[in-house]
Amino acid sequence: MGFVFPNEVNVTWTVMIVLYPYITGLVAGAFIVSSLFHVFGRNELRTVARFSLASAFVFLLFAPLPLLIHLGRPERALNIMVTPNFSSAMAGFGFIYSVYLLLVILEIWFVMRGEFIARAKGKGLIALLCRAILLGNLEENEATRAADHKLARFLAGLGIPLACLLHGYVGFLFGSLKANPWWSTPLMFVIFIFSAIVSGISVLIFHYNLVCRLNRWPIDQRCLRSLGRYLWGFMIIAVALELLEVMSIAYKQTHEWEILSELVGKRLFVSYVVLQFLVFSLVPFLLLAASTLLKLRDEVANTLSWIAATMLLGQVLLMRWNVVIGGQLMSKSFRGFTSYFPGLWEKEGLITAAVIFTLPFIILYVFHRIVPLFPLAAAETKE
Amino acid sequence: MSEQRGGGGCGPMDRRQVLRMIAGGGGLLLVGCYPRGKGPEAAEHYWGYAVDTTRCIGCCACMRACRAENDVPRGSYRTWVERYRIAADGEVSVDVALDDDHVFAPVSTPSVKALFVPKLCNHCEKSVCSQVCPVGATYRTADGVVLVDHKHCVGCGYCVQACPYGTRFINPVDHTADKCTLCYHRITRGLQPACVQACPKQARIFGDLKDPRSSINTILRQRRYRLLRPDLGTHPKCYYIGLDREVV
Amino acid sequence: MPAAPSYRHSYRLFALVGLGLVVAVVVRGLLVPPSFGEQGHFRAAAVAEARAREPRHLGKARCATCHKKQAVLHEKDTHATVECENCHGAGREHVKSAGKVKLAVPRGAASCLACHQRLDARVSSFAQIDRAEHFRLVGVKDASTSCTTCHSPHEPLFLDRSLRESRLHPLIHRCRDCHAGPARDASLPRPANHPAIFECGYCHASIVKDFAARKHHRVGCTTCHLFIKESDYAGRIVRDADPRFCLLCHRGGSFRAEHAPPSVEWPKHREEMGGEPDQRCIDCHQDKIHLRPASATQPASAPSEKQP
Repeated sequence: MGFVFPNEVNVTWTVMIVLYPYITGLVAGAFIVSSLFHVFGRNELRTVARFSLASAFVFLLFAPLPLLIHLGRPERALNIMVTPNFSSAMAGFGFIYSVYLLLVILEIWFVMRGEFIARAKGKGLIALLCRAILLGNLEENEATRAADHKLARFLAGLGIPLACLLHGYVGFLFGSLKANPWWSTPLMFVIFIFSAIVSGISVLIFHYNLVCRLNRWPIDQRCLRSLGRYLWGFMIIAVALELLEVMSIAYKQTHEWEILSELVGKRLFVSYVVLQFLVFSLVPFLLLAASTLLKLRDEVANTLSWIAATMLLGQVLLMRWNVVIGGQLMSKSFRGFTSYFPGLWEKEGLITAAVIFTLPFIILYVFHRIVPLFPLAAAETKE
Repeated sequence: MSEQRGGGGCGPMDRRQVLRMIAGGGGLLLVGCYPRGKGPEAAEHYWGYAVDTTRCIGCCACMRACRAENDVPRGSYRTWVERYRIAADGEVSVDVALDDDHVFAPVSTPSVKALFVPKLCNHCEKSVCSQVCPVGATYRTADGVVLVDHKHCVGCGYCVQACPYGTRFINPVDHTADKCTLCYHRITRGLQPACVQACPKQARIFGDLKDPRSSINTILRQRRYRLLRPDLGTHPKCYYIGLDREVV
Repeated sequence: MPAAPSYRHSYRLFALVGLGLVVAVVVRGLLVPPSFGEQGHFRAAAVAEARAREPRHLGKARCATCHKKQAVLHEKDTHATVECENCHGAGREHVKSAGKVKLAVPRGAASCLACHQRLDARVSSFAQIDRAEHFRLVGVKDASTSCTTCHSPHEPLFLDRSLRESRLHPLIHRCRDCHAGPARDASLPRPANHPAIFECGYCHASIVKDFAARKHHRVGCTTCHLFIKESDYAGRIVRDADPRFCLLCHRGGSFRAEHAPPSVEWPKHREEMGGEPDQRCIDCHQDKIHLRPASATQPASAPSEKQP
């Protein structure tokens, strides 16, 4: 164990702080997929565009939850927007999150206005809800649809840098901390963004496959194949950046390397070297290479990309764990390590984490019951 | 039904309006948040601290006095004393008396060199903690003391991560960030911090850096001293006399 | 022909967003704590709150205003730099309650050993013991004997004169001042710039020679002539002739071992010998110690050239 400063025995940032960037990563990734369709005209992604936008929204709703659970004084959480200290990267959270949430809500409003209007014309509570969401204006024609399209496109475009900011600021938060040699690197901002995109695409592939199989809907092969290609490309960049970061520390061998090599080689050997890289990066890379480059039957390609996506979801979670927890295991005295296990039933324990992660999927289903995300109406497939 | 483009608020105007609203709102918030404060020139005193590691005998009276003076919960440390033991083969082992009474126990394996190093918050002039606090709950007073506003802190723990010296912690009773305050309630009454008063060997020195005849300025002129982690540019105001190369 | 876009349906939405922003700014303004920003990006009132806490440790000057007897002894002796509250705890409640709240009076060995336990990291000029070894040296057989059986915490050495008024003496360097571990072989060649090692005999040769032939020859010079280092160059040396100091080794009791130094009961022994109330041990037993030089303040001889 060596020596740790007395106040370092207990880890301050728990699994909640592992979960928070994971969830905002899913948001950013899903939003980027939606914007690939709305802004860059990747029409093969039309099938999942609405689904990914709604996923981004739902994950965004739950993103502050792990933070609130972690805060020592959650009742004062608004202080971050009332008296933000702008020299702190964390102060950006309040504003970036609020603006981005507003943007996603607005974009959903414009993208799915047709569906809201269709539901509003019915009867019952859902119709009332949809009429309230539409603010009472059910006007729909070519002109309104054109306007919706333009505004949605604008918002989707504006949302890309905002999504990068929403997730990137977390990377900057870690990367700018000179006190912690495991975190302190300019690459952290970029690594977080790219692995966020990886996790976002993975959750879409995972969820889309699951939803289609459960409901026996036909899978849009062109869409899924395209997602798989994007996933393969982004994961190459993300893993390359992660490798670059650790290899450049290992090469430079500054005085921190002594303790960092023990962190990587012993403490985090299983979770970092074996799991994050060897198992959950190399295997998905090969699976996605196969499904992208080889001429495989649709079912086989889908299965491979589903397995790869699930594994990459794990890889990104592991990456967050290895960064957040790994950096705190190492003592700032450079002489030892502490240990951390989140506990099962604790306030910031594994059960809480599992619940927080599962809830968005449930709420997404509720969303679908209000306004359907699948399958698309026949009229939508025109244009 | 197609509509003529006309009247305020169509097309590009909407975009600009939205952007203006965001900019205006953001500007208002910024203006409200960023007034400048008074600097060290405005204060009568500018407090500094020195640790003479050649005099420390590791009695840990300072740890006990600090805990009693400031109600520091068990398991958290506003100050502590490290013991470095270097064996004949060069292996270094470091420990702190973490037991309830804070008493170092003898170790059976002999050492060729051993020393004590008291540690505490360095009250840095360019403190990273006050830079990264998202709500402005940790701040530096005009007389050079870094303090925590326990009524405003949200307990996010960013400052704890940012401190390179490990001197901050989240108070398990209060759930806010906590650390050495240089016994601000004592020094502003002309007393010394509890740890300085308790030390029987004058290994801890406290004084006014603005007073050329204070004990701290005297000792800094007479002895050779170093800072902890000077490479990080935090400009700590805690000066270590007789610091060994093994100390980080 | 693509229709021109109509944004009328979105006016309500953007109006709502605008209203929300205005409300947010207003609410934010209301929620900012008073005094925030006056002295910097923090709540200025917090500084006053930080100052408001009442000090709990009052310092030995305050203790001395009531406990004069202990304070006088304490200031004279080697524990003068030790705060009363270090052993007895913070004094505020005791003072506020005019003494009704009692402070702890530690009696066990633990509170003494917190400072005086021998540790590698403690400088050798600081008095420290290994308990078993100490008991063996002074002939105590009962391992549970507390330190206060022989030692007084307020007057550890029974100095006959305040430490601050004791003689200044050039710094005595001994091997253990710098080297930890067992004593080095004094015949080893020393590296350049090695600090000069002073043996007492270099200046006080005749006393040392005389001492070697007498009963106390196994006791180190500095056990009785305590040397307290004051700076890098000099310290204070005391010549402890108070009978209670001799009694630290020579007072009898059930805790003494068979091999203990010859012991007496005090003041019974003085009364039996028909001594005056202020009679000291060395007034009769000087011959057990060593001859006294003619002038007490000068070394008996000039430093000899024997220094290596």
